[in-house]
Amino acid sequence: MSEIEVRHLSKTFTQKDLKVDALSDINISIEKGDVYGIIGMSGAGKSTLVRCLNYLERPTDGQVIVSGQELGALSEQELRQARMKIAMIFQSFNLLQQKNAVDNISFPLRIQGMPKKEARVRAKELLKTVGLADKAKSYPSQLSGGQQQRVAIARALACDPNILLCDEATSALDPQTTDQILQLIREINESMGLTIVIITHQMAVIQKVCNRVAIIENGHLVEEGKVSDIFAHPRSRAAKELIMRDVHENFVIPETVDEITEGKKIRIVFTANSAFEPVVSNMILKFGQPVNILRANTRNVGGVAKGDMILQLPVDRETRLQMEDYLKERGLEVEEVNN
Amino acid sequence: MNSQTAQLLLNGLLETVYMTLVSTLIGYAIGLPVGILLTVTDKEGIRPNALVYRIVDVIINIMRSIPFLILLILLIPFTRFLVGKSYGTTATIVPLVVSAAPYIARMVESSLKEVDAGVIEAARSMGASNAAIVFRVLLVEAKTSLIVGATITLGTILGYSAMAGTVAGGGLGDIAIQYGYYRWKTDIMLITVALLVVLFQIFQMIGMKLASALDHRK
Repeated sequence: MSEIEVRHLSKTFTQKDLKVDALSDINISIEKGDVYGIIGMSGAGKSTLVRCLNYLERPTDGQVIVSGQELGALSEQELRQARMKIAMIFQSFNLLQQKNAVDNISFPLRIQGMPKKEARVRAKELLKTVGLADKAKSYPSQLSGGQQQRVAIARALACDPNILLCDEATSALDPQTTDQILQLIREINESMGLTIVIITHQMAVIQKVCNRVAIIENGHLVEEGKVSDIFAHPRSRAAKELIMRDVHENFVIPETVDEITEGKKIRIVFTANSAFEPVVSNMILKFGQPVNILRANTRNVGGVAKGDMILQLPVDRETRLQMEDYLKERGLEVEEVNN
Repeated sequence: MNSQTAQLLLNGLLETVYMTLVSTLIGYAIGLPVGILLTVTDKEGIRPNALVYRIVDVIINIMRSIPFLILLILLIPFTRFLVGKSYGTTATIVPLVVSAAPYIARMVESSLKEVDAGVIEAARSMGASNAAIVFRVLLVEAKTSLIVGATITLGTILGYSAMAGTVAGGGLGDIAIQYGYYRWKTDIMLITVALLVVLFQIFQMIGMKLASALDHRK
């Protein structure tokens, strides 16, 4: 049995006479110990989906089964009990502004009835875990965004959850802090065996920590699988778009390139093995035809270094096909890019 | 000013403080739960209930739309039933509470609604019950705003308590009317005004200092 099982889940919001299908027929299985990414553009329905996993949003249709318990079948009281084992962190941290770090972390323990002293002892241990032992008495307003998210993570861990849901947890942070928080999430996953669900709109986040990913577009699950597979062979348009758009979010293929040069664009992906050989240079030497490198990048996908490049091949069809074969022979993933 | 007049003014001052503080206290005993009820049952609240919200909302609006001076007279039979007489400081507390409670309920409602929805959602995600959300999140997070609200309320009730002087309600307002208005004693009139101003300043200062000392948002 999977840790989280989503079956035929749909969610419709009704506002006056207007019906909006936020999610339709979503099926997902998340295994124990997975770091599972759910990615989509804003408004795709991913935030609604993650809220269905702890029933902060009640699905209109379908089932959510967490650790063998069907959430929809639980009473209000049982649901609250279940939620204590499904922790959640948020984009805006959502700490109590009038409580210091220790009391924020104590909060979930206190509402379970743990005495104040005991809760504080546990809270201080957790602060150490997230590397903020010296900030026990600090209020959220005195902490940076990254520190606040660390406190929120400590708070999430207070009740020994089985699952940690992260709703755009790094979207409000700068790239460096994002990396640190993702590192921490990874450590938690490895040391505690927690199942983690990460909601994001950034492919980079998925690549850094997730082993599996689901791509949501307009409330539909369009693609699902291992991150390394989807990164190498994105099938859906949404997946391709997210991979292209991301990494350097500010990187845009200038439109003028299209105007100046014609010819076909391809995306090649190579792993560490093929990175030793200067494939592209060799190819240019072999065919004696110019190739335009529009973008090149190396990134860490699930612990494996992967490079990807966008090349503009010559207009001549014959040469182009030969070049593509040449690249494929050398173990590279080749894929056409259409704008 | 002879010692008799001084004694009179001191008594008036104490009566005013007594009426204002006791009315505010009882007003909060009623207004705070009602304000919580409004926040909780609002359509954006943690347990929406349109019917309850609507009923309480209408009652509050009706009560708040009656001017205090009219309420004072309107409530005389009720006050007499409750206290045994319709004049004096204790009797004045009745209309003051009736007038303050709905006002306080609104103040509380608006303070509690300022609490960040994200923090409430986080508490729900941790398995917090509605009671835990009210007592450990809403009231805690809105603390500063609630104290500011209480300070404003105290000032308003202080003003109302003086109005009760017209029907022999006791306190500084009563003295101002008895001596300043009916007997043309302008000096006593001016002293009561000065005392009310000082009293108001003290309430305001304590309230704001307290609110800012307890605020950890900055």
